[in-house]
Amino acid sequence: MTIHVPAAIDGATIIPIRRAGVVAAEFCKSVAHAEVAAVFERSFYLSCGDLFVCVGEPAIGNGPLTLIADMRVARRGLRPGEPARIAENRITIGAMTLACEGCEPWHPPRWPQAATPRVLASARDAIVRRAVTDAPAEGFGRALAHASVPHDAFARVARRRLARLRSWLVESVAAPSAPAIAAVDPVGDLVGLGPGLTPSGDDVIIGALALLDALAQDHTAACTLRANLARAVDHLPAGLTSPLSHCFLRVAAAGHVGERLHAAVSSCITGDLDAAIAVIGDIGHSSGWDMIAGIATALAAFASQPCAADSVMVTSV
Amino acid sequence: MSVIANEVRRATYFDSIVLMRISRQIATMAGVAEAGLMLGTPANKDILRDAGILGPDGEAAEPGDLILALRAIDAAAGAAAMAEAKRLLDAPRDEAAAATLSVVRTIRSAVRDLPDANLALISVPGHFAVAEARKALALGLHVMIFSDNVALADEVAIKREARERSLLVMGPDCGTAIIGGAPLCFANEVPRGDIGIIGASGTGIQEVSCLIARAGGGISHAIGTGGRDLKAEVGAITTLMAIDALDADPATRHIVLISKPPEAAVARVVLDRVARSAKPFTICFLGASDLTLPANARAAATLKAAADTSMGRVAGHGPAPRLRADRGTLVRGLFAGGTFCSEAQIVFAQAGLPVASNVPVPGASALAGAQEAYVQAHTMIDLGDDEFTRGRPHPMIEPAVRERPLAAALADPTVGAILLDVVLGHGAHPDPAGHLAGLLGGRNGSPLVIASVTGTDADPQPRGAQVEKLAAAGVMVADSNAEAAELAIAVVGRSAR
Repeated sequence: MTIHVPAAIDGATIIPIRRAGVVAAEFCKSVAHAEVAAVFERSFYLSCGDLFVCVGEPAIGNGPLTLIADMRVARRGLRPGEPARIAENRITIGAMTLACEGCEPWHPPRWPQAATPRVLASARDAIVRRAVTDAPAEGFGRALAHASVPHDAFARVARRRLARLRSWLVESVAAPSAPAIAAVDPVGDLVGLGPGLTPSGDDVIIGALALLDALAQDHTAACTLRANLARAVDHLPAGLTSPLSHCFLRVAAAGHVGERLHAAVSSCITGDLDAAIAVIGDIGHSSGWDMIAGIATALAAFASQPCAADSVMVTSV
Repeated sequence: MSVIANEVRRATYFDSIVLMRISRQIATMAGVAEAGLMLGTPANKDILRDAGILGPDGEAAEPGDLILALRAIDAAAGAAAMAEAKRLLDAPRDEAAAATLSVVRTIRSAVRDLPDANLALISVPGHFAVAEARKALALGLHVMIFSDNVALADEVAIKREARERSLLVMGPDCGTAIIGGAPLCFANEVPRGDIGIIGASGTGIQEVSCLIARAGGGISHAIGTGGRDLKAEVGAITTLMAIDALDADPATRHIVLISKPPEAAVARVVLDRVARSAKPFTICFLGASDLTLPANARAAATLKAAADTSMGRVAGHGPAPRLRADRGTLVRGLFAGGTFCSEAQIVFAQAGLPVASNVPVPGASALAGAQEAYVQAHTMIDLGDDEFTRGRPHPMIEPAVRERPLAAALADPTVGAILLDVVLGHGAHPDPAGHLAGLLGGRNGSPLVIASVTGTDADPQPRGAQVEKLAAAGVMVADSNAEAAELAIAVVGRSAR
């Protein structure tokens, strides 16, 4: 048998990339060397400096940092620290070549038009009710509901920090300057806080950013809230959270979120709270509910703005 | 008196669910008062510090590090909890490591990592393959050379060197082997058994090993020789050493030899060696005629026959179907596997039908410009030939190579049946049947499309699911490539030119 393949990849397995998120596609074009940073059952991460991309099976869903490939990651035997060479839209790791040429770019659809402030308020109240029964004990989900006695050190601080984020968001609209906004602590207090690959506090902020981004197209107040939160994230010093999670935060602050969070927020702002929770409630152990906590917190901050307050039932978060 | 224990894993990422599971397991262990498993971010260190379980090691952790911190009622409970935590943290990596190879940059480093290894697989551009093979031989390793583009003189030299060291060189251009149950390069997941295979053809080894597996048998070892081993210049060095090896292997009961017909002098040497063995052989020299075999050997005209014979079954097939092509009288074969292309030609030639190919076997006509111009005859096209694959991956890896010739065959009114091969296993495309089904869906049934699927249900692409996809797209799936060719003859009738 004669196997004719280009000499540079002689003997390699070539795996076509199906879809590439916007940041991941740029990574493939602009980075020459990377290394395997983490390996999971259905995905692995490549890193170059402070930038990470995720390569995964179709089941993990699309995202701005994600390359989707028809592969079974567990069979590839990848290990953290393995070098990756990137050239001409191909990523070579050992005997495996990921071919990005011709892959479909992925970006989320436009946000749908948001429901009325009253419907949004109802959605927020429904989140709080569902959190009592559905959110995992760990993370920020239960902290939304004030429903149980804090059982550990994390739970003891979680409620206070969510409340501080909400207050800060509300007050940031009237803050005099960007440096003043960047200097405040509530965002930095959440970042890096909690369990998980992406600490729970980071997921809270990503959820809040996504919600405000969705509302920003229709509401000036949400636009201001979003800009302030994004600016605060941009000004976070390095070292508050893991490099991988910090990358997710920066990308979310730039307006890019993954497919499942996008779908959840879209459902939430159109009043279909059950669908929203169904889409992201099971992400990670607590990440999905941490994002939901961020969504609810941002909804509360938005509801307190003059443009929305008249028609919103106020529920403290 | 309570104790605090910390374990820090540098720059370590675990799935959140794994972290939570481990954290809960440790927290509920006897004698553990409090435990936390978190990234070493400042915020998390604050929490652990407030809880009174952050020690000096944990204090020094970075945001990308993982901290396991616990307080136990006494030193013994703390030590037990920490030992269990380390075991749980290492478990996923140990499981992964068991299924993987270390990453090394030289063969010498690889041998240091795996001192018990006795085989090196060389897959580098052909210009460098011989040098790497020599390094491996010098370290006492058998060698499998996947690379092609190795000069014939180099092949001869390296095989002679290896023979002097009593080491085997499989290849160059050796695409398939199964050694001790481990599939190498393009190979399938087949059970261990008592049939040994020696093959100059990768797809030949794949087809025979899969047919044996599907018939309930298994493979002791399948040794690839490279396509030129039976040439006079090489003198069957690897084939003869492989026969020695399988002859001496107590786990091998029966040996199958697969190759194109060797030159007469080489065939004589090989068959003399076969005659000296006490084990039964099946000889499948595809396209050979007038073979004089020793008493312990039986000839097999096709790969299917080789598999049947090795299993002690009577080679044959079921009754011909009553289907008839409703248009055209010609068969167009579009093969990813070169050996399948050859085998189909042989089946047609044995049926007395003229056949042409871009890679003709003796007795078949040569096609020139096979991509565009087909003569008015049954034609068997090897899509792995240079003409189709220059600058592109092999069709077993990238089935799009078949799209254009398949479209042409579907549109050609003279074609009554199309023959296809689908090769599964390690290294092959993840869903070749799905790709074909996408091309064939929605057509009106003419011409008939007949395929064989080489693989097993244990392959990365389970054969049963691949067969179902083809059947759903209206493809007739034969049990073997030879049977597919016979089926094609049956449906177009024997009246074709």
